[in-house]
Amino acid sequence: MSTNDRRVMVHIRNVDKYFGHLRALTDVSLDIYDGEKVVVIGPSGSGKSTLLRSINQLETIDAGTIIVDGFNLTDPATDINKVREEIGMVFQLFNVFPHKTVLENINLAQMLVRKRSREEATAISMELLNKVGIAEKIHQYPTKLSGGQQQRVAIARALAMKPKLMLFDEPTSALDPEMIGEVLDVMKTLAREGMTMIVVTHEMGFAREVADRVIFMDYGAIVEEGTPEHFFTNPTQERTQTFLKQIL
Amino acid sequence: MPEEKQHRTVIAVTDGASIPSRKDAGLFTAWRVSFVGSVALLIYLSVFHSDPYFRILKFLPDGIFITFQVTVEAILLALIIGLFTGLGRISKNKVINGIASVYVEVIRGIPLLVQLFYIYFALGRFINVPAMASAVIAMAVCYGAYMGEIYRAGIESIPKGQMEAARSLGMSHSQAMLHVILPQAFKTILPPIGNEFVALLKDSSLVSILAVSDLLRRGREFASETFTYFETYTMVALVYLIITLFLSKLISRMEERLGVNQ
Ligand SMILES: Nc1ncnc2c1ncn2[C@@H]1O[C@H](COP(=O)(O)OP(=O)(O)OP(=O)(O)O)[C@@H](O)[C@H]1O
Ligand SMILES: [Mg+2]
Repeated sequence: MSTNDRRVMVHIRNVDKYFGHLRALTDVSLDIYDGEKVVVIGPSGSGKSTLLRSINQLETIDAGTIIVDGFNLTDPATDINKVREEIGMVFQLFNVFPHKTVLENINLAQMLVRKRSREEATAISMELLNKVGIAEKIHQYPTKLSGGQQQRVAIARALAMKPKLMLFDEPTSALDPEMIGEVLDVMKTLAREGMTMIVVTHEMGFAREVADRVIFMDYGAIVEEGTPEHFFTNPTQERTQTFLKQIL
Repeated sequence: MPEEKQHRTVIAVTDGASIPSRKDAGLFTAWRVSFVGSVALLIYLSVFHSDPYFRILKFLPDGIFITFQVTVEAILLALIIGLFTGLGRISKNKVINGIASVYVEVIRGIPLLVQLFYIYFALGRFINVPAMASAVIAMAVCYGAYMGEIYRAGIESIPKGQMEAARSLGMSHSQAMLHVILPQAFKTILPPIGNEFVALLKDSSLVSILAVSDLLRRGREFASETFTYFETYTMVALVYLIITLFLSKLISRMEERLGVNQ
């Protein structure tokens, strides 16, 4: 597949990130194209979350450049809130707002950030809640919902901003096994619709089915990248082989 | 499945009246014995020994009113000072954080009575502030520091992911604070704030020294005219006790109500 003719959505060059003395990202460079689905895998502590969180500046990097949709994050003049409007993020622990109903969860940022009226926001929220399959729960508080439902609310909340890029940080690792499928289904639909997605996950079935590219990280660095076929049939790096053996 | 932790930390910063625990059930709880006992004693004294007790009781309401006025005004002001102090204490800006932290340290290191004198006389040197106003300001400046710690603890009790989720949606730091963090922290900070209210009401008796006619001062005025010191201070103590017991109960009810709300 040729990616030369496609626009770069996320441009990452020579990025380092330290937590004290710990080097969480080591000279990471990566381009992610418009509409591409990238799955990031790697052992615990390898820097997957840090990489994802650097893309919407929940972590600030110590060296290198990240450009998202033309916004240079390392430029102090960049309004980070403007960039974040274009990047949806879904967390392992959902982080739904427990003091707001499902509908209010999804309306809140639309009204505050996108400056939509309540009616406009609600119309968009309803459409998304239908899409993620929880339209009947709109007036419930999220604490009354199952984990899978909460995560779908979180996805709808991010989508309501009409982002150009979606980041998923282990969206199903905190879920009971029977709920993983419902969340992955929503993500697969999103992928089919052409959303640009970066997904950290241990769900290899999802990676095989959805990913255009798989990236393996270890010790804060990208060790190997390639198509799912490449990864699951003949990975070249020894560390990749060891890792895949452990989880498959 | 990892649930969002429900934080119900009770933060006791200053010594309020002890808030009755939900677990003390039964007919003879310490609260009931104290409350019913003090009300009964007040009624008994006023009815069967109406001279001087009933005369004292009739003399006190103006003072009760002033005590409440000082308490309510000071607590409202302290809530505002405290909010900014608490936000300052968690601020990443070193200057703001430093100012807030020094304020808290200094205030906590000086006895309230000394602060009262200081603000009263210090303010008085430059501007003519009525006793009532300087009393309210002094109480608020003092309690604002404690309140700041309550806000800080309340805000810090909200999982970090909430702020991150709000920011990742493009909200500014203040939007996230206002719409996501503070409403959740409210549940945690309400009980200790109620506790502070009771503590402040008791401490407000110190303002009687600044020629503010609060409950204690009214009592002293009555006593020194009639030489009924024992009787007057008995009534004053009973009135304080009944008020604080009543308020503590009210607060713990409110806390329970919030606890079961969702
Ligand atoms: N806020 C932080 N402070 C200090 N160290 C951190 C912080 N966040 C991450 N780290 C460290 O940075 C390294 C990379 O962490 P990161 O969370 O990116 O790993 P990960 O690949 O997402 O792991 P996991 O699969 O366990 O989620 C780890 O060693 C981690 O302990
Ligand atoms: Mg992680």
